[in-house]
Amino acid sequence: MSENGVRLLPLDDDSWRLEAYLRRGGYEAARKALTSMAPKDVVAEVCQAVIRGRGGAGFPAGMKWSFVPQGGAGPRYLCVNADEGEPGTFKDRLVLRRAPHALLEGMVITAFAVGIRTAFIYVRGEYALVSGRLEEAVAEARSAGYLGPRVLGTDFGLDVIVHHGAGAYICGEETALLESLEGRRGQPRVKPPFPASVGLFRSPTVINNVETLAAIPQILAHGAGWFLGRGVAKDGGTRLFGVSGAVRRPGIYELAVGTPLRQVIEVHAGGPPEGRSIKAVVPGGLSAPVLKADEIDVPMDFDSLARSGSMLGSAGIIVIPDGTPMLDVLHVTARFYAHESCGKCTPCRIGTSWILKAVRRLRRSGGSPADLDLILRLAEGIRGRTLCPFGDGAAMPIRAIVTKFRDELERAVAR
Amino acid sequence: MSGLKRVGLTIDGLKVQAAEGTSILKAAEQAGVVIPHFCYHPALEIEGNCRMCVVEIEGLPKLEPSCSALVREGLVVRTSTERVREARKDVLAFLLAEHPLDCPICDKAGECRLQDYYDRHGLTASRMVEPRERREKKLAIGRGLILDRERCVLCTRCVRFLRQMPGTGELGVFERGLRSEVGIFEDAPVDNGYSGNLVDICPVGAITAEDFRFKTRAWFLARKPSVCPHCGRGCAVTVESVSGYPLAKGERRVYRITARENPAVNGFWICDLGRDGRRDIDEGRHARLMKAGVPVAGLSWQTALADVAAAIRTVPGPERSAGIAVVLNGRLTCEELALAKRLFVAGLGLSKVYFADRKPGSADGLLLTAERLPNGRGVLEAGFAPRLPALDEIAAADVLLVFGPYLSEHLAEEALAKAWAGIPSKFLFSAHEGPLDRLADIVFPVAVPAEKSGTYINVDGTRQTFAQAVKPAAGVAAESAILAGLANLLALDAGGGDAR
Amino acid sequence: MSYAPSPAALEKIEGTIALYPEKPAALLPVLHIIQGESGFISAAAEAWAAAKLGLRPVRVREVLSFYTMFRRAPAGRTTLQVCRNLSCALAGADDILGLIREKLGIGPGETTSDGAVTLVTAECLGHCDHAPCLQVDGVDHGPVTRETVAALIEELKAHV
Repeated sequence: MSENGVRLLPLDDDSWRLEAYLRRGGYEAARKALTSMAPKDVVAEVCQAVIRGRGGAGFPAGMKWSFVPQGGAGPRYLCVNADEGEPGTFKDRLVLRRAPHALLEGMVITAFAVGIRTAFIYVRGEYALVSGRLEEAVAEARSAGYLGPRVLGTDFGLDVIVHHGAGAYICGEETALLESLEGRRGQPRVKPPFPASVGLFRSPTVINNVETLAAIPQILAHGAGWFLGRGVAKDGGTRLFGVSGAVRRPGIYELAVGTPLRQVIEVHAGGPPEGRSIKAVVPGGLSAPVLKADEIDVPMDFDSLARSGSMLGSAGIIVIPDGTPMLDVLHVTARFYAHESCGKCTPCRIGTSWILKAVRRLRRSGGSPADLDLILRLAEGIRGRTLCPFGDGAAMPIRAIVTKFRDELERAVAR
Repeated sequence: MSGLKRVGLTIDGLKVQAAEGTSILKAAEQAGVVIPHFCYHPALEIEGNCRMCVVEIEGLPKLEPSCSALVREGLVVRTSTERVREARKDVLAFLLAEHPLDCPICDKAGECRLQDYYDRHGLTASRMVEPRERREKKLAIGRGLILDRERCVLCTRCVRFLRQMPGTGELGVFERGLRSEVGIFEDAPVDNGYSGNLVDICPVGAITAEDFRFKTRAWFLARKPSVCPHCGRGCAVTVESVSGYPLAKGERRVYRITARENPAVNGFWICDLGRDGRRDIDEGRHARLMKAGVPVAGLSWQTALADVAAAIRTVPGPERSAGIAVVLNGRLTCEELALAKRLFVAGLGLSKVYFADRKPGSADGLLLTAERLPNGRGVLEAGFAPRLPALDEIAAADVLLVFGPYLSEHLAEEALAKAWAGIPSKFLFSAHEGPLDRLADIVFPVAVPAEKSGTYINVDGTRQTFAQAVKPAAGVAAESAILAGLANLLALDAGGGDAR
Repeated sequence: MSYAPSPAALEKIEGTIALYPEKPAALLPVLHIIQGESGFISAAAEAWAAAKLGLRPVRVREVLSFYTMFRRAPAGRTTLQVCRNLSCALAGADDILGLIREKLGIGPGETTSDGAVTLVTAECLGHCDHAPCLQVDGVDHGPVTRETVAALIEELKAHV
């Protein structure tokens, strides 16, 4: 996005270096916050900007911070959710590789605002090599005084520890992430208490996504009004839209929140390759219910997509071309959730696998429309019945595929 | 709890008061509304994984697990709406889809939550046509416990219990998703003194005890409350037995002892020593009167007791104090101890009243006390100053009455035999066989605590009255009857009169 | 059966443990270090890690078996992780996987008899704009084609 000249993701090759980041005015927003603002004013500014969680849940970041109890002597923690694993999502990878200092600066501002002195970055295990630059950036920032005991020469100190997961999608769920970070199986916790009051090591904890934190400096640098103005009324800023699947130019596009989905696909990503057309689109990572080709004239913001029966999620757009058997899409989807269910809640543990078994049977030996009803019934048995949002994340896309492509699926299973 | 603020809420139309911080499930239970659940256990950390206990809370879009949702002022909760019933049915359908349905050979049948809930909340036809997972069905996990992973519903009660209660944490959940399974690490089995509770708390037949497997069916068992006599704690237990005693060879009467809830004493748990106490009730028991170690045909209780009374009478009043020795024990109930006190001390004026009990073990810091008798405090309350007799104190007696087989635990058998040989009349009142049997003129088979009613006072001073849990065999009598009978024969007022 | 890390790995482990306010939090990083050095995590190594972090070994087994990247048995010299979630599936991941299976003569989760390659499938590797993609010992490759994959496999087979 070139309007206003502000980009989260710079294009130059050395952008990830501290020197390059400083050339672009890096760490000035942190300096402003640390030297001229009170923590509560930082929280207020971020609240006003309405920056909604870029990990997928869309919870306003400022509000999340404000839930951390004031005062109290014990430690509090910041956890950066870099457990990017939602299929079709690859934006945080780019932030880690191209703008790690934007993330670190966002962390400094956040930690200052909430009174945090220790931060963990939970990077998915599969990104071990990807995060090499992040670890270098942390070292650079520490030796240059942007992290460490006296950030920017002030009394404020922040330690940053990069922590690697080991292969579990569920650890992107915030309480599972905390469990994992504490050295346990990544299984979601019962809420309440919420992490803001009882989180990492039983202390108040803020958990934010990489992209969310990396965008925080913009808010401080340019003001909440400016930031909110780039998005829509209740959803400020730009998003890193990832486009994959059947498009000419797959990649990450930094665009205003609210940019129409069709425009992201057709204008920015170049639309489907020559001779192909769009059959369906998954608009926000695999958990977002699929949209049919005639449903993609929708603004890419949280509320608009919710109204269209899907969700913005991680803004990872997967374009499914004509000719793709939806039974295959159903299979890939079912397999993913069965593979990644942590196994804690009964409906999800057994339901996701039962759905997969049913889909496999349909692919193997055909079946009847009644089997599709069974799959819908099983999905309903999971939806809203689990501890964490994974259950909904599994049930909703399954339901959308079966209901929206019922005719095709019936023909396929009856063959 | 009483210091906590109380809040008012509505559960199924009932106005309910509950302390702040109480779960909806508990508040409902207190109001008589039972919410089905697998993973919730009042003594264990909340896990919220089974999803069986979901309820509808007005104003909330989703069903909430009542085990973790707390009461709040003005909450309106519904526990059996269509939506809730559907959710329960679905949970049951999911669990049953991966369940072996081997109820006919499952030891939990008849007391299995999955089975019970299916009857009450499920009753749907199976929609599962896909094959279920095959898993290990007979995994020995230590202490005679067998894990059947096909039956397991992953409620993790066992895992949480071991981490919280004995703190030994031998079990864990391995793998994830549908492949999740409970297990031990390599060759490090469950090995702690509370392992048997795993069978009690497993809501299904996943953890069973070798000692009980395939021995009987739950519905054949009569369950009677009693108090465990194996240490000073006095844990609440349930004695589970079949009627029809006496049994044929190899048959059992008491099939198991399980933990019974008593917040004041043992919470929900009992130790393995107490659980293994089922053997104490049925094994090594005396069932018939014996003379010189052999049963005597035609010997009646009346005659035998008359022999005791006669022996006592041979000692003239003034010499009784030194000439008659009695050894009692701390397994006697308060009522029996009071009778003994009246008979032996007040009535006969004896001074040689001793006590012999099981040797103390070591306390485990949890329930098991060092003291291995159930009524030590009762002994003191009855006014006795219990002490073991020295060998020569017994040897000097003309008549010796010994209650319980425990003397032989403290005195060397050979020396004991030699000392006994010099005593003109000696009688043993014991429930169990032991080295003293052959030394006594007559052995009287007496009842074990589970066969009696009475009162025990535990180490903390908690007084517990219990009723007879199992009937003793025909030839077996409780000490209370023996003491009363003796008093009668000696024409002493059992109510505490003087010697005539 | 016993386990001890090399002095270098031990130093790394101890440095890592020091980063965390509570020792058990270092479990995942410690297991990564052990696997990085040994190629897998043996039962003896699990027990070692448990003792190091003040945990019961069963707690280590719980964690080890939960996460897909940890291995309890030795793997081949190279691990080939093939992504097959939706973006890659749309780009022909199944075909690529089929080709790899054919060329290596093994299925997912297996290791070639010469110990050269372990093949595993992965759900989304987060490289969707380079679909179909795969990881060779953690290094991303993509988009791959039948030709580049065939060449890659020849290379891996030759690598001793």
